[in-house]
Amino acid sequence: MPNAAALKVLIVDDQYSVRQVTRMALEEIGVRHILESEDGKAAFEMVSAQPLDLIISDYNMPVMDGLDLLRAVRGRPAVRKLPFILLTGRGDRELVVKAAQAGVNNYLIKPFTAAILRTKIEQVMGKLS
Amino acid sequence: MTRMDELKKTFFVESNEQLEAMETGLTDLREGSGSDDTINAVFRAVHSIKGGAGIFGYERLVEFSHVFETVLDAIRHGSLAAAPDVIDVLFAANDMLTDLVESARSDVNLPLDYEADCRVFLERLTGKSPAIGAGAGEAEMAAPADFDGIDFTPVRAEDFNAQDENLPEQFFEQVAPAGTDAAFDETADAAKNARIDGIAKAVTTTIRVDLDRIDRMVNMVGELVIAEAMLSEIVQELPEDTSNRLWKTFDEVVHHTRELKNSVMAMRAQPVKSVFQRMTRLVRELSAKTGKKVHLEMVGENTEVDKTIIECLSDPLVHIIRNSIDHGIESPADRAARGKNETGTVRLSADQRGGRIVIEVSDDGAGINCERVLKKAREKGLVDAGASLSEDEINNLIFLPGFSTVETASEISGRGVGMDVVRRNILDIGGRILLKSVPGQGMTIQLALPLTLAVMDGMIIRVGNETFVLPISAIVECLRPNNADVRNLLGTRGTLQLRDAIVPLVNLTDLLQVESVAQAASDGVVIIVETSDGVRLGLMADELCGHQQIVIKSIEENYHCVAGIAAATILGNGCVAFILDIEKLPELAQEAESQLRSANPQNIRSAAA
Repeated sequence: MPNAAALKVLIVDDQYSVRQVTRMALEEIGVRHILESEDGKAAFEMVSAQPLDLIISDYNMPVMDGLDLLRAVRGRPAVRKLPFILLTGRGDRELVVKAAQAGVNNYLIKPFTAAILRTKIEQVMGKLS
Repeated sequence: MTRMDELKKTFFVESNEQLEAMETGLTDLREGSGSDDTINAVFRAVHSIKGGAGIFGYERLVEFSHVFETVLDAIRHGSLAAAPDVIDVLFAANDMLTDLVESARSDVNLPLDYEADCRVFLERLTGKSPAIGAGAGEAEMAAPADFDGIDFTPVRAEDFNAQDENLPEQFFEQVAPAGTDAAFDETADAAKNARIDGIAKAVTTTIRVDLDRIDRMVNMVGELVIAEAMLSEIVQELPEDTSNRLWKTFDEVVHHTRELKNSVMAMRAQPVKSVFQRMTRLVRELSAKTGKKVHLEMVGENTEVDKTIIECLSDPLVHIIRNSIDHGIESPADRAARGKNETGTVRLSADQRGGRIVIEVSDDGAGINCERVLKKAREKGLVDAGASLSEDEINNLIFLPGFSTVETASEISGRGVGMDVVRRNILDIGGRILLKSVPGQGMTIQLALPLTLAVMDGMIIRVGNETFVLPISAIVECLRPNNADVRNLLGTRGTLQLRDAIVPLVNLTDLLQVESVAQAASDGVVIIVETSDGVRLGLMADELCGHQQIVIKSIEENYHCVAGIAAATILGNGCVAFILDIEKLPELAQEAESQLRSANPQNIRSAAA
């Protein structure tokens, strides 16, 4: 059973406000180590530089989008098993299909509550303590 | 303020930045200086707004940006060309999105169907209606945790480890692409289906047709109208027993041709809304620039007009509205001091009256300052120092070439356009422009435009051996005058006493240099015409030959512009006839007269003696 407080989570989104709302929700479920990145490329560098437990990433970002980030992660042997949750909008069904094909673990539709976020993480990581 | 409220504020700041980026991107696209990156940037901006709106639960914003984004996506993937009319829709959508963001920020509810039309415009571009999930307007509904209908199972991190080697295949199995697409279409709930049905119906009742094809059809109908007129002449010459039978069928042909003509013309017709919508942006920009508060009200934006006329409408409207906001609407402080609402109103209306479309721009500003206008006109030498003018005449000075106030010149620097050009543009398409001003209460500029530029009702007249056509809309009355009512005051140009008024007579024989048999006005017919400025003239002709639908053929395209001739047409007998340019006639008459006067000064003296 993973301990929420011990998880290291990376939030990737180009919008500050979205990152902050996601951070608030993570904090609410007990996550303490939260990293942030503004685009896929910077995120991939962070992924390569340190051990992480989970990525929560938006799709649409400048420089490198969330799908390319996912593919990049899955393509690098050292980090390819890193759990990845995609943030999506309400109309982004096709995107989820593409992400599933690229190996996403789960998706999260905006807006979400802390409870939904918890469920989505638990579906991937198992029950959080 | 809670942390969430703070973040919302941040979201709106971010959104405004995105909206600015969109505007810049769209402007680049319109000017052709954009690249692939430009459209990508615009797409990303919209998508970011959608994303942020999603996280804060602004459903309406999410819905609209989703539709908007779908169009941008089609453009960036090359399935939709960024043609000017497409970009116009994008601009309108940009404005709409701005409004929706503002409404979300200020918590002021917009009417429920506020964005509906813009949405339809967007959806028409991609030819499909992107389904987003739930119905619009349910802002506070609970967030769904999952997409229904997607065969997606969250992947546990542990399983991941177990099936490490055949990782990609596993995901292909989980989400079968073919099945999934079908699932998307079929698993929507009833409410969503109803909405999609509605949109789908709207889509299937319209098709996109190349304008060239319609124009070819308009042309063919024009030829048909001419052929019909020729046929009717032949039928007239037949012996009565044959012609009687023919007439019956022929009447039907006439009827159908007319219907066909109207249908084809209706195909080219578009609601003026596309032009009107562009003005919201202008008003917003101008009010920001001038610091004046302006509300734009639109009435009758569904009125339909020929596409060509719509295209000619944009520039004049821009200038008239600019003028209204620059010079008409007062600053909020001034308005308050005058007991007016701080926010001025510019009202844009369209209405079909008779055979014309009437567009009005009115404001509740200060109206025309007669003193200032007169002073300016005198300074610029447009009016003699001693001349006394009526209020109406002063108001109309703003339409004179060369009359352009300093502020206007700087405001639209680089374009060099004043109200005189607006007037010229309107006259060029056979329209009329009228101005009403009430000092302190505002002014109204009225544009009366023809519904189409391809066909008109014409009166055929004979002058000497030549046949001419007059637009019926310009004719006030036709009469055969008594000798006593015709006076040759100056010996060269006669006048006609018409009830209480005196109307100058114009001898078309002289003016257009054709040979005529009738010498005196009372020998022929006098046709009283009125120009768009309200100037009346009596045209002397030898004979009225009849009334006919006239297909307008431009002569400028094949020849060059001839003063006094607006265009040409082909008559029933196959002859080409010129359509007279009523607007130019008073000017031509004046010129002819002064030439005559300088050539024969004794004429005037003998007449005066």
